[in-house]
Amino acid sequence: MAAAEKGAYAMRAITVRYTGNQLLQYGVAILLAVIFFFPVVWMFLTSLKPAGEIYAWPPHFFPQAPTIINYFRVFTQSLLGRYILNSMIVSSFSAVAVIVLASMAAYGIARIGFRGSSLVLVVFIGLAMFPQLAIVPSIFTWFRDLGLINTYVGIVIAYVGLFTPIALWILTVYFRTIPSDLEESARIDGCGMLRMISHIILPVSIPGVVTAALIVIIQTWNEFFLALVILSRNHLRTATVGIALYPGEYAFPWDLITTATFMAILPIFFLTLVFQRRIIGGLTAGAIR
Amino acid sequence: MLLVVPALAIVLAVLLFPTINTARISLTDFSLTDTGPFEFVGLENYRRALGIGEFHSAIRTTIVFTVVGVLFQGLFGLMLAMFLNKAMKMRGLLRATILFPWALPTALNAIIWRWMYSADFGVFNFLLLRFGLIDSRINWLGTPDMAMASMIFVAVWKTSSFMALIILTGLQTVPGDLYEAARIDGASKWQQFKRITFPLITPAFILALLLRSMDAFRAFELPFALTDGGPARATQTMALYGYRQLFDFLNFDVGSTVAVTQFVMLLALGLLYIWLLRRRERTL
Repeated sequence: MAAAEKGAYAMRAITVRYTGNQLLQYGVAILLAVIFFFPVVWMFLTSLKPAGEIYAWPPHFFPQAPTIINYFRVFTQSLLGRYILNSMIVSSFSAVAVIVLASMAAYGIARIGFRGSSLVLVVFIGLAMFPQLAIVPSIFTWFRDLGLINTYVGIVIAYVGLFTPIALWILTVYFRTIPSDLEESARIDGCGMLRMISHIILPVSIPGVVTAALIVIIQTWNEFFLALVILSRNHLRTATVGIALYPGEYAFPWDLITTATFMAILPIFFLTLVFQRRIIGGLTAGAIR
Repeated sequence: MLLVVPALAIVLAVLLFPTINTARISLTDFSLTDTGPFEFVGLENYRRALGIGEFHSAIRTTIVFTVVGVLFQGLFGLMLAMFLNKAMKMRGLLRATILFPWALPTALNAIIWRWMYSADFGVFNFLLLRFGLIDSRINWLGTPDMAMASMIFVAVWKTSSFMALIILTGLQTVPGDLYEAARIDGASKWQQFKRITFPLITPAFILALLLRSMDAFRAFELPFALTDGGPARATQTMALYGYRQLFDFLNFDVGSTVAVTQFVMLLALGLLYIWLLRRRERTL
């Protein structure tokens, strides 16, 4: 009887401590969410304020007279619509080209494993570490001579070179997990190499391909240095560069800047939210070896 | 082998050949406005660039930004990773939270922070004054040291979580029964961390440090969009200085020299980390 009572007390002590721990964890989790989401929330709240309220001291945390006028103005008074269209064009074309080239190469490295294939992978990873500043002087002069400055083709070529290595890495890690009997039966049926990739390997690798494509889309959407150098005409600029240059061009109209920034990060935000598990899987692929 | 050729070709064309050509440019009197032919001048550009005070300050800024920034990122990244490893139940919610700063475009994030740092209308001054933590407005981006600290703060905020994700992959490989055994032997939490956790996650930790330092060393759009390299060029990194030389002043010879210097320093940094990893593997 006494022993059982003691046991029950101990149990309760454990549950209490457990929930105490849980509570602390929830507290920390909420604190982290506040820290990491605060800047964007503040940006969004600012975008809902009329200019008069933005430049007032002390500011109000929540807009006193919320308005969506800034969202109309940003599309009519700046090229935001065009910037976002440019970003979409550049990101999607780059992602498709990167996936085509990277899946071919990854198949060669992961499934065929020719002599020196692991060395080739190391070369790709090493090149991915090259700084943009080192390539920019040459890229600019060459692209100028080839007429590729201020063209979508020019920036897409640059992005394919820049982001093929990371896609290749993710796909190689993924392809290695596919069981090999799948290919053998296809090979017996006389399936060629490119057909093998497009009809056998890619369909079973959809999660890996989606992950690689997402990471390339996010990286190209966010890229700044090359977009700044290669696309210098205002109507060709990508969203990231176009908005980052607002302060110089329109003398700090924070009402428009905050609104445009919010619009430009919205697509990335949704992609990240929906595919978070995949993206994290891709980013940490091969970190454990 | 043939399958690798197209990918390799474009990566070489966009990354390797331009870098080699930039190194070549840095050894000539190349000018964007002339048509050439350009003369080989040896290390003349390097001699000249090393005499420019602004170049020195750019190197110093880059090193301070990298070392101090990555130090804090490593610290917070480690703490964050250990928390994520514990708080299994909330992992779904936390994952989104953690990934969000990584996904934000660095340039636009810099713009957001520039607005929050604003001395006149910024939310930081507003909140700190409101809660009585400061007596007067702080000019976050107004003085050299403050601007540098503010810039590092943004980088730590943005990239600690990426660091945490990499470290977490290491943490997840640590077998739980090791802690069980340590607890039975009466090891304290700190001893457990020092003797079990840290040694086992060192490879992941070094990898995270490597990736982050290389990124920090190349920092370009953060100073571009946050401070424009100011005040008094205190936050002008090598990448930003090189860019200004190239495209604001069209000094392609000096600009290429800055680029090659940055490249060589990055290479040394990368080799240092690889050496660290190798040495650790040998001692195990």
